[in-house]
Amino acid sequence: MKRRLFIASTVSALAGCGPLTSGLSQNDGFRKVLASVEPIDHHLIGTRGLAREYSEGDADRIFRVNGFATPSDAAYTKLVADDFATYRLVVDGAVARPHAFRLGQLRRMPQQTQITRHDCVEGWSAIGKWSGVRLGELLDAVGPRDDARYVVFRCMDNDGSGNLYYESLDLHQSYHPQALLALRLTDAPLDPDHGAPVRLRVPTQLGYKSAKWIAHIEVVGSFARIASGQGGYWEDQGYEWYAGI
Amino acid sequence: MKDARRPAIYRYAFLTRASHWLWALAFVVLVGSGLQIFNASPNLDASDKSDPARRVLAIGAPSQGVGTTTIFGRRYVTTGWLGWTNDGMGGNGAHAFPATITIPGFQDLAGGRRWHFFFAWIALLCWLAWLISAAIKGSLRDMILRPSDLPKLWPMQAYYLKLRKTPPPHGVYNPLQKASYTGVLFVIAPLVVLTGLALSPGIDAIANPLTILFGGRQFARLWHFAGMLLLLAFFAIHTFQVATQGVVNQMRSMITGWYQPE
Repeated sequence: MKRRLFIASTVSALAGCGPLTSGLSQNDGFRKVLASVEPIDHHLIGTRGLAREYSEGDADRIFRVNGFATPSDAAYTKLVADDFATYRLVVDGAVARPHAFRLGQLRRMPQQTQITRHDCVEGWSAIGKWSGVRLGELLDAVGPRDDARYVVFRCMDNDGSGNLYYESLDLHQSYHPQALLALRLTDAPLDPDHGAPVRLRVPTQLGYKSAKWIAHIEVVGSFARIASGQGGYWEDQGYEWYAGI
Repeated sequence: MKDARRPAIYRYAFLTRASHWLWALAFVVLVGSGLQIFNASPNLDASDKSDPARRVLAIGAPSQGVGTTTIFGRRYVTTGWLGWTNDGMGGNGAHAFPATITIPGFQDLAGGRRWHFFFAWIALLCWLAWLISAAIKGSLRDMILRPSDLPKLWPMQAYYLKLRKTPPPHGVYNPLQKASYTGVLFVIAPLVVLTGLALSPGIDAIANPLTILFGGRQFARLWHFAGMLLLLAFFAIHTFQVATQGVVNQMRSMITGWYQPE
């Protein structure tokens, strides 16, 4: 009897995991406790490493579309129809020389090519060949001021509820040698599903950091007052700002 | 009868008991939240990047109301158990593992990751605290499997199977106990920790040889999952043994420290 009771209670304790933890998971105090390890992980792992670079043969011929597909907004549809002739990448905020870059200007800047792996937070991975402008190169062109701390990427896609996608990196991450404003994937200009005309590539962090359809780069001292204040679209929904794990 | 009893012995130190129960809690949370994370991409590939040609396990819902589990290309219908299961919202849906055993008990990758990474620290710190104290006290020496134990493994198993009347001579722990403790604490647990680390792009960037050692990121995910299954197997056997070898006495000794010899 005792044996059966013990086994039954063990099994039911395991099977009760879901329902038991759902309430706790929605408790703000408890979530803060769980999130307390994020700064430790960030401090220990950091973003100083270089992501492995692969050879041409390792790259996927058809790179899986991450996140959302082509934005359906009228403004974006018009940009695609015009082949991005009127597209401007606005870079402003805490910078000495704010500027609106034409696509042609970005293409004439020194280009970097990287064949790196994209690690999605969902668990899958894909390898792509990306070319574009190093983010650090672009930031040097506008000159971040002394009060600059973060670089915020504002995108052209909204989630249907009016929330625009955005992301942020700190300056250290932005000057990482592999932080890339990609213009090309697999030797062709980015297509709309992959973030045309400009997307970010941050191979040392999870895929949601690599924002697509970037329209505006804002250098700021703090992102606390942007959207829900967590530094990104997915961060506002509970994902880690430090996306290195 | 009571007079014939030998005096109780203090078998487990406080640190051993505390780390045991904290580890048990962390293990349950890590499995539940790990299944939540798995559900976000319910495939395991023996490769670096995702590769359907090297898919070892795929749990899915090919059509409404049908759950399947595909292992090495062989597909089994597992509706209700895997693939198409309880979604934690009062119905069934395309969920690899049912929401009744995931943490939290509904689809929430962000929440699952938070639980997982917090309790990974708890489990790791427990293991370290126990390891250091066991090494200092010298009890570690009694638990490590040595080459001289290998010939005694089968006689011990034969004794358990009642094919032999007496166990082979051994020290504090018998050879099978030593094999399982050594395997769990020094092979499987480190494997699970290291393969978990290898999944992180930030760690991959500072320790790429680790990821390569396990065959790449997706392969590390497969090892991580396999390690979890091995730990679950240990957990099941361990629980069975406790339940069948004087459950009250065993539980009391792991709670209060005091064990009553027969």
